[in-house]
Amino acid sequence: MNDFITYVVSGLAIGCAFALVGSGFVVVHRVTRVVNFTQGTLAVFGAMISYSLLSKGLPHGVAEALAVLGAGLIGLVFGAIALSRRGTTPFISLMITLGLSIFSSAVIILVWGQDPLSPPGVTGSISIAGAAIETQRLLVAVVAVVVFASLWLFFDYSYLGKGLTAAASNPRAATLVGINVRRMGLIAFAIAGLLGGIAGVMIAPTNAVSFSSDLSLALSGFAAAVFGGLTNLWRTLLGGLVLGVVGQLVAGYWNGSYQTAIALVMMLVLMIARHRSLAVEEAK
Amino acid sequence: MTKWIKMAAIAVLAIVAAVLPLFLPDLTFYVQTILAAVVVTGLSLFMGYAGQASLGQGAFVAAGALTVAVTTVQLHWPPLLALICAPLVASAFAYLVGLPLLRLRGHYLAFGTLALLLIVQTLISTVPFLGGGIGIAGIPPLGIGDLTIGDQLGYVYVALAALAVTLLVSHNLVRSRFGRGVRALAGSETAAESAGVDVVRTKLSIFAVAAGFAGLAGGISAFFIPYVSSDSFPAIASFTYVIMAVMGGLGTLWGGVIGAVVVSVLAQTLTSVSSTPGLPPTAGPILQYAAYAIVLIIVLLFLPKGILPALMSLWSKVTAKGRTRNPGEALGATPENDVSARAE
Repeated sequence: MNDFITYVVSGLAIGCAFALVGSGFVVVHRVTRVVNFTQGTLAVFGAMISYSLLSKGLPHGVAEALAVLGAGLIGLVFGAIALSRRGTTPFISLMITLGLSIFSSAVIILVWGQDPLSPPGVTGSISIAGAAIETQRLLVAVVAVVVFASLWLFFDYSYLGKGLTAAASNPRAATLVGINVRRMGLIAFAIAGLLGGIAGVMIAPTNAVSFSSDLSLALSGFAAAVFGGLTNLWRTLLGGLVLGVVGQLVAGYWNGSYQTAIALVMMLVLMIARHRSLAVEEAK
Repeated sequence: MTKWIKMAAIAVLAIVAAVLPLFLPDLTFYVQTILAAVVVTGLSLFMGYAGQASLGQGAFVAAGALTVAVTTVQLHWPPLLALICAPLVASAFAYLVGLPLLRLRGHYLAFGTLALLLIVQTLISTVPFLGGGIGIAGIPPLGIGDLTIGDQLGYVYVALAALAVTLLVSHNLVRSRFGRGVRALAGSETAAESAGVDVVRTKLSIFAVAAGFAGLAGGISAFFIPYVSSDSFPAIASFTYVIMAVMGGLGTLWGGVIGAVVVSVLAQTLTSVSSTPGLPPTAGPILQYAAYAIVLIIVLLFLPKGILPALMSLWSKVTAKGRTRNPGEALGATPENDVSARAE
């Protein structure tokens, strides 16, 4: 029973990390209909930049904040390239972001090398219902909840957030009422960069990341986002939590190697079961 | 007239491809380029006509390679039988997973196929019969009875034969009655469906054929290397197939070959540049990743139809002013089945 609680609690913490990556997919997809393959890469950039700043002696908090801003800036650049030509279909944009993520691998190896790095985070652990959980993981969960609440307030109540949603649901009408759809796309990419950066900064202290971590991060984030149909933020959080808990239970009771595979199988089943509604949303 | 020119060009190309390896010191690169062309020809067919991308074509290469490794090493089947089974198993596997998977479209299918590749990797590394953590080594050389291929040159001709078969099958597939349905699919799925084309089955068939090509290439490479493990099929290899297909021109017969050759030569050149003394050992992957990425992004942004169709439209502008359509054009490059425009 004690094991069970440990698996569930750590699964919830990992799930929050998946959901943070997934939220980046949702923001970009909501506004531009593009699936941003660099979402995992942005998390890696966030982690790597915070590692460098912390090892330069910057205090905690400042280093992480700068790393998140840096990832936001990189997200903006990615958006500028992916959306640089008018009439590029969302699918071609996906392929361009695939190219950008491959290019980023080169940059990351050049600057940070090939080995996994792990910036220092919060140390120690807290006991929850008899299960010891690392404080850093708990912090991930707290940050995730704050981020999702902020995103919800931003998209539903702020002027800019509503503009972003309008740009997505009907680009032509949005243009007519004076919304610059292209600028909204760029803002979405920048927000996705910030979200990726937050995810990377929070994940890396407990799970070291390298240039090749982007793929697994992107896939688990995408899997979480699929729960929300790539548009709904709260269901993305729920998806992340489900994937995290199931993954930990599978790893704990069966075989750690199947953790990712099970998450992917769940994603496939969900996508195939919901393919009709996904296709309708695609055709809009 | 144009037909004769084309036939002559193909003959010259075949002779060059067969004679060139006699003068090359190491043929690993040559064999791998040809096998990549086999995979990409199928992928280009699928991406061009079904209008969908597979980011996990390596899963079917793995299916073919594993078929050879498991049947020869674990079950002691004769090598030739194993090679014949490789594309069949890969096709059957694609058909089975395609039944549910091809209901997905666009980026869902892209991520779905990538997920499939990672699941296949996990299966290979955890199931001992498929190699487990150590992989399957000691695959016997390809041959019939005592007559086996002892050197690299032999595999060059096996690979070239596979490429010839691949191109012939693709050509006939698109020209057949079934192929007219395939081409209709590329124009408009809804229109094709209303004209009586079974969209799901047609897509599934191209998916299975493309997987068969991938399995054939995987089978040959298993004999060539001769070792198969879960690390033999990294995701970057599958991304490279997509880069090659996009670069050559989707849904064109020769685009896959051109894309494979151009990208492979580029990668090989960068590998030799990066091994010059004084450069750090990470120079190799840095240059390759950067080059792959830049090629992909530039082609997508500025030549979305790929090199081959771009060259052909230039050629037809130069030679046939006033004529609206070129006769004897390679499949897929005529305006009515201009597929890249709707690859979404």
